[in-house]
Amino acid sequence: MALSQEQLVDTLSGLALFADLPRPQLEQVAHKMSEESFPEGQRILRQGFSGTGFYVILDGEVAIRIDGSEVARLAKGDFFGEMSVLLGEPPVADVVALRQLHALHLGGPDLEGFLRDHPSVMFRMLKTVAMRLRNASRWRS
Amino acid sequence: MAISQEEKAAALAGLPLFQGASDESVARLCAVTGEVEYEEGQFIVRQGQVGSGLYIIVSGGARVVTGSHELARLGPGDFFGELTVIDQQPRAASVQATSSTVCLAIASWDLLELLKSDPALALNLIRGLAARVREQTEHHRH
Repeated sequence: MALSQEQLVDTLSGLALFADLPRPQLEQVAHKMSEESFPEGQRILRQGFSGTGFYVILDGEVAIRIDGSEVARLAKGDFFGEMSVLLGEPPVADVVALRQLHALHLGGPDLEGFLRDHPSVMFRMLKTVAMRLRNASRWRS
Repeated sequence: MAISQEEKAAALAGLPLFQGASDESVARLCAVTGEVEYEEGQFIVRQGQVGSGLYIIVSGGARVVTGSHELARLGPGDFFGELTVIDQQPRAASVQATSSTVCLAIASWDLLELLKSDPALALNLIRGLAARVREQTEHHRH
């Protein structure tokens, strides 16, 4: 189900990642990113294989699995794929749709420019990655 | 002991946190970096406090403690405080000087402002943190 440009901009304005963006910038984001849907059970990123880009969840839920065991779940407003894109390395986990997933996708090569164009998005991403590092340290113990 | 601007810049540029940062970014960091001295036994940061800054040990040493339990020893080149600056969570441990110790310190507010106005530096830091998430995850697996 594709949203109209206006519905999409409304949805984006409600997501934490884009909360600081004024309307014209939200329209740019909606324009640059493409909507994608995945059925329940689909693996969107595969551990150890090359990354396919950056995803922001609009609706649905995914499980993050490392070697088959679930370490986290992500839902509306959460994002994934940025780490392997920015590091230029294969994903460190599987990301699997737990039910029908509706997401926005940005191709890997476009992410860096996108973040530079939207520093507030970059700053929110930085906070999230810091939180993931805290959580990752916890998994270890 | 006064640290020269060159030494400061070299210490900052050498941190894994700021690896690959441009000369301009390092110069901006330098401008907001201060030098603080601690005596043996003095606390540099305390567990439970919300992050006041990022610290880099230049000389001397420190121990990381929670309550009476020692978690790690730190020495010249080691740094701490970067996560609580970014996510503003309380510090998970205290750091106490074990001898006369000199640190470079960047206040939370200054570092956050820099990260907001310097996309290259922020991007660099995201990469650095992401690499550590990856390391932790790999460590978990093996």
